[in-house]
Amino acid sequence: MKPYWDVNVLTGTKTAKIVEDPVQWASIIKKSIRPLYILGPDTVDRNIGDKLFLEYCLDVAKAGNLPICATAHVRKKMSEMGVETDSAYDIIEIINHLKDPEWQGVRKEGNHDLIMFTGVRCDLAERGLATLKHFAPHLKTMALCRFSHPNADFALPVIRKDTKWQEYFDGLVANLIN
Amino acid sequence: MSKNKEETLKIIKGEDAWEPVGPTPLPDITDLRNWSMRLLKTYKPFYAPFCDLCCNCTYGKCDLTAGKKGACGIDIATHQARWVLMQCCMGLSAHGAHGRHLIDYLINKHGKDYKIDLGLQVDVEAPIIRTVMGLKPEILGDLRTVIEYVERGLIHLVSSTHTGQEGHYLDFENKSLHAGMLDLLAMEAADIAQIAGYNYPTSIADTPLVELGWGAIDKTKPVILAIGHNAAPINATIDYLQNNNLEDKVEVCGICCTAHDVTRRSDRAKVVGHLARQLFFIRCGIADVIITDEQCVRTDVPEEATRAGASLIATSDKICYGLEDVTEKEIDEIVKMITEEKKQVLILDPDKAGEVAARVAIAIAPGRKKEFINEKTAMKLAKECNGCNLCSEACPNLLSVGKSVKEFADGEVDKLSETFKLCFTCGKCEQKCPKNIPIIKIMQAVATKETYKMRSGRGPIHDVEIRQVGSPIVLGTIPGIVAFVGCSNYPKGDKEIAEMMDEFARRKYIVVASGCAAMAAGMVKDKEGKTIWEKYPPGFEAGGVLNVGSCVANSHIAGAAIKVANIFAKLPGRANYECIADYILNRVGACGVAWGAYSQKALAIGTGFNRWGVPVVLGPHSAKYKRLYLSRKEEDDWNIMDGRTEKMMDEYVEPAPEHLAIVIESKERAIVSIAKYCIRRNDTPVGRQIKLNHYIALYKKYMGEGFPDDLHLFIRKPTDVPMFFKREVMDYLKKIGWKPRQQVGLPTLINTYPTKANIADIK
Repeated sequence: MKPYWDVNVLTGTKTAKIVEDPVQWASIIKKSIRPLYILGPDTVDRNIGDKLFLEYCLDVAKAGNLPICATAHVRKKMSEMGVETDSAYDIIEIINHLKDPEWQGVRKEGNHDLIMFTGVRCDLAERGLATLKHFAPHLKTMALCRFSHPNADFALPVIRKDTKWQEYFDGLVANLIN
Repeated sequence: MSKNKEETLKIIKGEDAWEPVGPTPLPDITDLRNWSMRLLKTYKPFYAPFCDLCCNCTYGKCDLTAGKKGACGIDIATHQARWVLMQCCMGLSAHGAHGRHLIDYLINKHGKDYKIDLGLQVDVEAPIIRTVMGLKPEILGDLRTVIEYVERGLIHLVSSTHTGQEGHYLDFENKSLHAGMLDLLAMEAADIAQIAGYNYPTSIADTPLVELGWGAIDKTKPVILAIGHNAAPINATIDYLQNNNLEDKVEVCGICCTAHDVTRRSDRAKVVGHLARQLFFIRCGIADVIITDEQCVRTDVPEEATRAGASLIATSDKICYGLEDVTEKEIDEIVKMITEEKKQVLILDPDKAGEVAARVAIAIAPGRKKEFINEKTAMKLAKECNGCNLCSEACPNLLSVGKSVKEFADGEVDKLSETFKLCFTCGKCEQKCPKNIPIIKIMQAVATKETYKMRSGRGPIHDVEIRQVGSPIVLGTIPGIVAFVGCSNYPKGDKEIAEMMDEFARRKYIVVASGCAAMAAGMVKDKEGKTIWEKYPPGFEAGGVLNVGSCVANSHIAGAAIKVANIFAKLPGRANYECIADYILNRVGACGVAWGAYSQKALAIGTGFNRWGVPVVLGPHSAKYKRLYLSRKEEDDWNIMDGRTEKMMDEYVEPAPEHLAIVIESKERAIVSIAKYCIRRNDTPVGRQIKLNHYIALYKKYMGEGFPDDLHLFIRKPTDVPMFFKREVMDYLKKIGWKPRQQVGLPTLINTYPTKANIADIK
């Protein structure tokens, strides 16, 4: 499946498994032992409908008890909202840490086995996912992004409508809670 | 291959005893390899493959995904490193060939013994050439010697990228660093040649403010547009116009670095803008004649010139466009071919090309209509949009082009106007449009026609300026030198460059700019209507904002750092690369920012700065370069020697600078990080206080309350803590169990690895 942005079209053989069903997405997260949720600046720079993108992501993090890595300037908005982040690295720095299987993770409990991205600038996220695909075989990656990411292990299909995107978040939150 | 010592000394005029010859004159690829490897031990290569396959030879395609090797045995990391070297070599060869052409041309004009005189303020005329090669260039012929050395190195570097050659990523990286070093060397030679040969401004800081912006171009006059980086042809146009009293009657303007260099020749010339405005401006039809020279010129200029009704003169053997070479024809005949037969031509003689351009523009301009599309017509065209959004999907800057066009069709102008500010005008959106909507043309109706000012390029930093700021830079009381360089592939438009520069100038950093970044910075006005070029002083001083000039003038930024070591600290510089680079890495708080880097040249430049020990911050698009140099501050090797005692420090030393090449996603995060990357291990307590004061203040401004989670790593003793945050920081340090540690007396990496460098030189 072609990602939304032409710049992210894959030139390679190993491409993401598309997960259309939030039930399945939630199930993958639940099976992980030490997941990490990476939030990029699109989450604070955009709304989905009338609600800040970040609020949807925080709902997911809360429902799944996912530690957060706030990249770029996301920490500031979280702080204004009274939410403490588990860590604040920039995107390249956190990927550089994740490459090392011996890294102890943001909670110092061992490296993460599942990395989920949302709101990272799409062309940059795709490069970061490529790094992890090639150099971090010890973990799996999920791109919770409506524009779809072929270099992730698991990706969404392209979701063009805001309402469908909201529905996906709602479904994911509901299934992470259950 | 071992070098002949006598031959080396002959090339660098070893008998000329301005300084003793250091350990590495005319270094080959492996002569500085140990320095590279020491850097790479701390700043490890980080690869982000853009493509998982290798298509380099007929064994392939080979899939290198996740541990697989190619038929030749190469793995993905080594393949990425090879790509990076190839790209660095492309960049190096572009600058090197540019330098070669300019130097040969100017030697033909003035003779090889033409003296290099950079004015009363510049005695150390070529800090890079002196330090790398051991040569002190005095005449144009010496600059040819520099280019010959660069060419020799380039052959070996390119050779190593052939299938079945180099097989380890670290050695590819050493070669990339070597290519970057040669790149800066070639650039220095090129810029010195043009300063000397064209009498560009030198030894003055207060260079003229020139007009900037497409709205500044007077379309009622004949307009000649130069695109590229080699100003020889357009300078010839200036000469022709001046000699024939026509300067008032013809508009000369430029896009990209040629614009910088023509305004150094004549402050009446104007700057249209950076390279991202190329297609947009050509399609506006304002230019009567387009002169292309070399580098960063669109490959479809002939087609676009025809479409716009402009004449085209290609002038470089690098860009011939399949055109007829008319160099040997008489000028009258060429003018006739262009004006009457409507031919596009290739003229390889810059003087001839310059005169032809002027005569053609004067001849054809009266017959050309130059009307922009009006809003009403543009909206009518936009109404064809069916909302398919294929244009948006094609956008390399991830813009919602389709939505903007659709809203514009409905009468909403602002969104498209904002989109234009972020647009590279590459035209990919139009290619995808099933309705063939001329999106770039429509943007004429919404693009601001405001005019701006940019300070023209000043060339080298003056020796006297270095003497004045050397001490505060090394002690840390001037918090840093921040250099905004490179191309215009900005994630969020020109505004971010102006904002970043303003933030650091206000905080009394020394802010330097060059190339497209200098133009972008000028395309934003403050509330009082002033650009950054009108707001701050032009000297190399705290709070100064300088434009060194075009791409090749980037060499003067590295040159300034070298001069701090050589002039202020009196380190012997001649053929003494490692000592000078070590000094810069550990003691000169400089940071490069290539926020919109797109080209192979920009990669080579950045890599060259890295080898000198200068960290470079890149914007998000630059992840596509595939390689960065990153450390992990709490895990990597920060061991260092105290040069005074020549003993290794036995405790943790701060990770400064933390990275050598890093991509950062947002302007806000970049600003905070740049302040941190100006910290050096040599900072005095007062200097460290000042730097940390900015780091903390910027963190609070852009990242929210609290402190950076690595703050404690940069505090050696309580005297390092900024007074303004003293109580708050000391409470925080107590809470996290921070313990004071020693300051390194004379931080150095020399002798921590096998080297011919002499540690006595750094004392």
